[in-house]
Amino acid sequence: MASAEASSVTIKVEFSGGLELLFSNQRSHTLTLPAAVPTDNATTVPVSSTTEATKPADITYLIHYLRDHLLKERAELFEENGTVRPGILVLINDTDWELEGEGDYVVKEGDEVVFISTLHGG
Amino acid sequence: MSTSCGNPETEQDALMTRRTKFDKTKTSCFFPLISTRFRKTLGPTINNKRGNKGANARGGRIKGLMQAPGSLVIGHSGGLGSTVLLDLVAKSYFYRSSTSSGQLPEDSLSLGSEHPRNRARGEGDSGDVWKGTPAVCYVEVASVIPGAKERTEEVRAAVKAYSDPTTGFEIDFIPLRLEDAFDEGWWKTVGGTDLKQGARDLGIDINDEALPTLRQGSNIPTTPLQSLHTYLSSLPTPTAIHSAISSLIRVLLLFTAASRDASHLLLGTSLTSLSMNMISGIAQGAGFAMVSEGLEEAWIGKNDQNISIVRPLRDIGIKESAFWAWWSNLPVPGRDRYPSSVSSVPLGSETAASRVAVKQNQKLTSIDVLTQDFIMGLEKDFPSTVSTIARTLAKVTTKEKGVSGGCVVCQKPAQPDVQAWKASISIRSYHDEAFVKSKHPLPPHFTSPPDAGVSAASSPTNGLAPRLCYSCHTTFTSRSSRGIASANEVVVPLPVWVKASLPSSSEDTTVPESKDLQTGSNEDVAQAEVWETKKLSRGSIKDKIGAFLLDDAGDE
Repeated sequence: MASAEASSVTIKVEFSGGLELLFSNQRSHTLTLPAAVPTDNATTVPVSSTTEATKPADITYLIHYLRDHLLKERAELFEENGTVRPGILVLINDTDWELEGEGDYVVKEGDEVVFISTLHGG
Repeated sequence: MSTSCGNPETEQDALMTRRTKFDKTKTSCFFPLISTRFRKTLGPTINNKRGNKGANARGGRIKGLMQAPGSLVIGHSGGLGSTVLLDLVAKSYFYRSSTSSGQLPEDSLSLGSEHPRNRARGEGDSGDVWKGTPAVCYVEVASVIPGAKERTEEVRAAVKAYSDPTTGFEIDFIPLRLEDAFDEGWWKTVGGTDLKQGARDLGIDINDEALPTLRQGSNIPTTPLQSLHTYLSSLPTPTAIHSAISSLIRVLLLFTAASRDASHLLLGTSLTSLSMNMISGIAQGAGFAMVSEGLEEAWIGKNDQNISIVRPLRDIGIKESAFWAWWSNLPVPGRDRYPSSVSSVPLGSETAASRVAVKQNQKLTSIDVLTQDFIMGLEKDFPSTVSTIARTLAKVTTKEKGVSGGCVVCQKPAQPDVQAWKASISIRSYHDEAFVKSKHPLPPHFTSPPDAGVSAASSPTNGLAPRLCYSCHTTFTSRSSRGIASANEVVVPLPVWVKASLPSSSEDTTVPESKDLQTGSNEDVAQAEVWETKKLSRGSIKDKIGAFLLDDAGDE
């Protein structure tokens, strides 16, 4: 259930296809993100909504957050130019993120986001 | 009339209503769609082609009974495609384990319980499509990849998941190792002919474009693993290493399948991987084999045994494979990228300096890696072009047939007169008169023209070069313009099937040992064939390549 003021959003993130190796070998993570985040996707600076430009937390912010806070090694295998590396598929609530607006999708309470790597071929 | 195309990516204000019933990612549509595509690709190849009346348009089934002439072997790389392939094959043609998830193919739901296909399933039988017990064959490559973990047991567990103890149905698991390619013991288990005594220690000198066969003398590797490391570390470029590993795996799978009287060898190459392999292969000179085989390959082993190499996922993209694996909860063992550099001795026994050098050289890129990155990026932004690459291959053909028996190393079709073609299109030596006159600068790793050596004047009749395809010959002899390749004094060992195919003249004791070539070169040069090169006129060049030029439209 969302908090009364919706100051944060709790989502579930899963990794598959070998990506979990980059995230402490843990497939499933539960994250709490701020509901409003900086427009430049900075993940280390506390958001002050009165002075900084903010936006609702979206998938692009989530990718930056994962890179900055959960990724243990080889960031270039996960993120490239502000989005996931080609070959990594993203599912938002079991739906291809291309149908949900890709990085612009605003995460909601209880969403499940899955990152699947296809980089080990046939 | 609206002039808007309705595409919101080009027009911000365009409204494109999402019709959820057309979402391919909806699982209710997705599984039957993929399953149908899979069976439509594999179905028409099952029966012996002589009796095949063609594919039924519905689900790829042909009219009448599906009956393969032999057994089934599935090649498993540990990757995503192989995992999905195994799942699709098991669910479509064999008894489905209660531990696996997913939906039955749509066609089966329309069949009655007494239909032979459903009845055979219930009894835990294979449905009698293929003879004998199906098998999955996995080739472990971790022994040549620094830091890689062995995945044989993970793949074994994935195969075992399709067993059903209540009916006794099982899929056989055949674990192999890459070094088996140099193991006489493995060769005997797959029914290979005994190696002649004189062939056992034969190798080749890859510094000579004719690839003369030599005895390895005192440098003969003691174990198959050592032979593998010597073989791969002697190759001139990272691209050659990747190509060699792929060829070894392919032939290991072929001979293993042949030993089981298989009529079909299935590989989990998805549409995306197929496109990568095509671009990469053609860039390395393997276009003839790809084009002549089209999208269907056949390999003829001993006793005219015919094995069809089928890629049933060739119409399924890597993205769709990933969704299938995710929604079916399939564990994917994973697959490491092939190394760009290999130690000359087995891992763990190399010197610290060698270990550092090998690790540093892993950063070197290869045609395969570049192609993979390119195709992955292409699929993301322009997904239809990936399928276009695969479909284009089906439209082209070769002007001539391959030589009998194909390439002795990769067992693929080989075009005739490879050496003559190479001689007419490339500079063969920096001592070439035409090259010297052109005053073209030498590559950066040469400060002065290298010694002519024996290569400019030798053409032993027992060389391997005439029996290779263009791609394999290039694998052995290419030289990177960046000078990465190092001169190699080691005689390179050969895979067992190559040794077994060498003619009986290989027992001739006059086959030189490697040291003879290094010390007795002057006499050899004096008696060997002499090559003469000269610059050709435009007219004579056109005569030579005219057979490959397209006819002008007006000439028809």
